[in-house]
Amino acid sequence: MNLNNPNSVFVIIPFYNENTVISEVIESLVPYNYQIVLVDDGSAKSPIDFLKDIHSVYFLHHKVNLGQGAAIQTGIDFALRKGAELLVTFDADGQHLASDIQSLLEPLQNKEADICIASRFLEKGKHNATKGRKITLKAGRWVNYFFTGLFLSDAHNGLRAMNRIAAKKIRLKENRMAHASEFLIAIKKNKLRYKEIPASVVYSDYSRKKGQSVFSSVRIFFDLVLHKLFE
Amino acid sequence: MTGIKILLTTGVAFIAVYFFLRLRNSIFDILILMLLIIAAVVFILFPDITNSIANKLGVGRGADLVFYTSILIFWFAILKLYARIRRLEQIITQVVRKDAIDEAEKN
Repeated sequence: MNLNNPNSVFVIIPFYNENTVISEVIESLVPYNYQIVLVDDGSAKSPIDFLKDIHSVYFLHHKVNLGQGAAIQTGIDFALRKGAELLVTFDADGQHLASDIQSLLEPLQNKEADICIASRFLEKGKHNATKGRKITLKAGRWVNYFFTGLFLSDAHNGLRAMNRIAAKKIRLKENRMAHASEFLIAIKKNKLRYKEIPASVVYSDYSRKKGQSVFSSVRIFFDLVLHKLFE
Repeated sequence: MTGIKILLTTGVAFIAVYFFLRLRNSIFDILILMLLIIAAVVFILFPDITNSIANKLGVGRGADLVFYTSILIFWFAILKLYARIRRLEQIITQVVRKDAIDEAEKN
């Protein structure tokens, strides 16, 4: 077991109907020699055409669209099977920086934490979110605190890193976007050591279009209520 | 027999026929269904019965009592259906996930 070997780091990228931006994302990751796991969540048009030039990626394909949470869980299951020691979740729309991954891995490699969650609010100038989105994320912190008991600075960040122990404990049952809170529930429930790490979030016109609007937070809220009621 | 009684009893009769054609799997279901149908028809034909039950429970009219209880029943039905949808969603997810991982292992 070598936590410092990039070959044992699996970066899981779930995506749905992405265009060429995802190949830029992959290219930005390639120099780091991480193992890349792409999970296609039932895209209408298979992106394999513009991905076939990059050979060093694992490609998983959901036959139907299930949601980002389901895609991440598929990626985690697969990476664990392949013997992953460290697992990273990474958004496909180019909002994260590949160079931020190492700072999330470090506390895991030093065995100081089991799971690291990126935060755009820990340091100044790490994001260009609009006012509405900022307010929603601030409110989301309290909603998360209410539902999970963890109070983090960033409610909904797609960039996380975890070790094998944490990954095995996490079973995402919320197929859609409420899975971000499920990570926190798993942390609390299994007493995992967690750490927030400052990382950039860069919103482009593309990621804004692809990503969630402020109104999807309402949907997430109801998914969380129902999660509490039915699990 | 007033118009509304004829309308409602034919409605119940149609629903009853539909259900009997669809689910004749367990005797328990059929018994429950029979009971419900008989109760519905009795209440439709003799609405005074619901009135007296309603009065005993402190509700003004029988129709109101029926309205309140049906809201409760619908809530229950929606929750049951929702739980079932969630179960189905989880089963579909497992199947799709297994397929995706098996396919990737092959390559």
